[in-house]
Amino acid sequence: MPDFVLVLLTGLAWVLMLIGCVFVVAGGVGLLRLPDLYTRLHAAGVTDTGSTIFMLLGMVIIALVEYQNPWIAAKLILILFFTLFTTPTCSHALAKIALLSGLVPIDENGKPILASPKLAKKMALSRKPKEGFEADDEGDNSNKDGAS
Amino acid sequence: MSLEQFSIAVLLTFLAVAAIGIIVLRDLLAAVILTGLYSLIAAGAFVVMDAMDVAFTEAAVGSGISTILFLGALSFTKHDQKPRGNDSWLALLFVVVTGGLLIYGTLDMPPYGSATSPAQTHPQLAKRFIEQSGDEVGPPNIVTSVLASYRGYDTLGETVVVFTAGVAVMGLLGLKRRRPEEELPEHAPGDTPHEPGHDNDRMT
Amino acid sequence: MFVAAVLALLATMVLTIVRALLGPTLYDRLSAVNSFGTKIMLFIAVFGFLTGRPEFLDIALVYSLINFVATVAVLKFYEYDDLGSGAYQEDDY
Repeated sequence: MPDFVLVLLTGLAWVLMLIGCVFVVAGGVGLLRLPDLYTRLHAAGVTDTGSTIFMLLGMVIIALVEYQNPWIAAKLILILFFTLFTTPTCSHALAKIALLSGLVPIDENGKPILASPKLAKKMALSRKPKEGFEADDEGDNSNKDGAS
Repeated sequence: MSLEQFSIAVLLTFLAVAAIGIIVLRDLLAAVILTGLYSLIAAGAFVVMDAMDVAFTEAAVGSGISTILFLGALSFTKHDQKPRGNDSWLALLFVVVTGGLLIYGTLDMPPYGSATSPAQTHPQLAKRFIEQSGDEVGPPNIVTSVLASYRGYDTLGETVVVFTAGVAVMGLLGLKRRRPEEELPEHAPGDTPHEPGHDNDRMT
Repeated sequence: MFVAAVLALLATMVLTIVRALLGPTLYDRLSAVNSFGTKIMLFIAVFGFLTGRPEFLDIALVYSLINFVATVAVLKFYEYDDLGSGAYQEDDY
């Protein structure tokens, strides 16, 4: 392999790792700063998968170029494969069960988007979009602080 | 300070913070989740300290199985801790003295990564294990011969402890059924239909 | 490069632990712990490369699987208050 290709690949690995670092720190800050469980879940989930993809791809390149060991690259790709399955599954399960337990998401003004925790549970159990639930409110407006 | 030592220090600080969190939290389910966090941190620290086998065990047992065992135990009780009464000063004294004695015991150990620890400087130990364990014990894997033969009584004791704990947990969990018979659901989607008379396997 | 990655991961672990300790609801703690597991996995992988021994990636592989098991077990327990029961009951629909 010519030299400049090696340099180019190492530089690419550097860039990928640095992008991964930025994603990781951004995810941590988002996890701490965002106002609501669902937005935090976005910060945690998206940046987890994003940073994992970038960092592991960077390490794959280094394993192939610097160590020249395809087994390490295979292990890294296996890790990437499993993570891309498990992390979104966890986020999905978390969001669904949070909704099922009556935690109402809030909009950008901090107001809950559903009238009551009961509606959130109903929304979690059905496959209908959100609009179907603001209409058939069951009159259970007593508990509006589900998102606090 | 090298990056390795820095990482170990940071991870051990995380361990202390997570432990304090477990003590302070009243919600037992949250405490169980933090126990999983504790195991994750501990296993990370073990990896940094090059103890790969311990890290493997900590990851599989501490973070996976013991979380599930805690949850199984929680399903028999409530999720909230009972409000504590007056904490006794005598208990605090006892805990502090015990912890102090344990820390005093670690002072005799060689420091982490020491090249002059007795296991390293003993003239024949490593040589004998490497050269003669194949003839003396048999298996080609030296770690296996050390664990199962040279350190056999130690391993026997550990196995007895683990076996006793397993029997005790099974005895505790299998003592009584959780719900009365009539509150059990008929069957859930995906389950095999519930047959009366074959109810004993519901807890398994 | 790896030093920067290790430092970034450690800094993020601090933020994640703060969220796991603060988190008002249980789900916040759970998502923080799950995220922390991913970070520890990346940390182990990066640390293996940093010390020049990337053969220890197996434990990162174990982590990426274990993490999932614990989170899903806690969620299932929270949903059904039991680890042995099945899916939703009929009258929930």
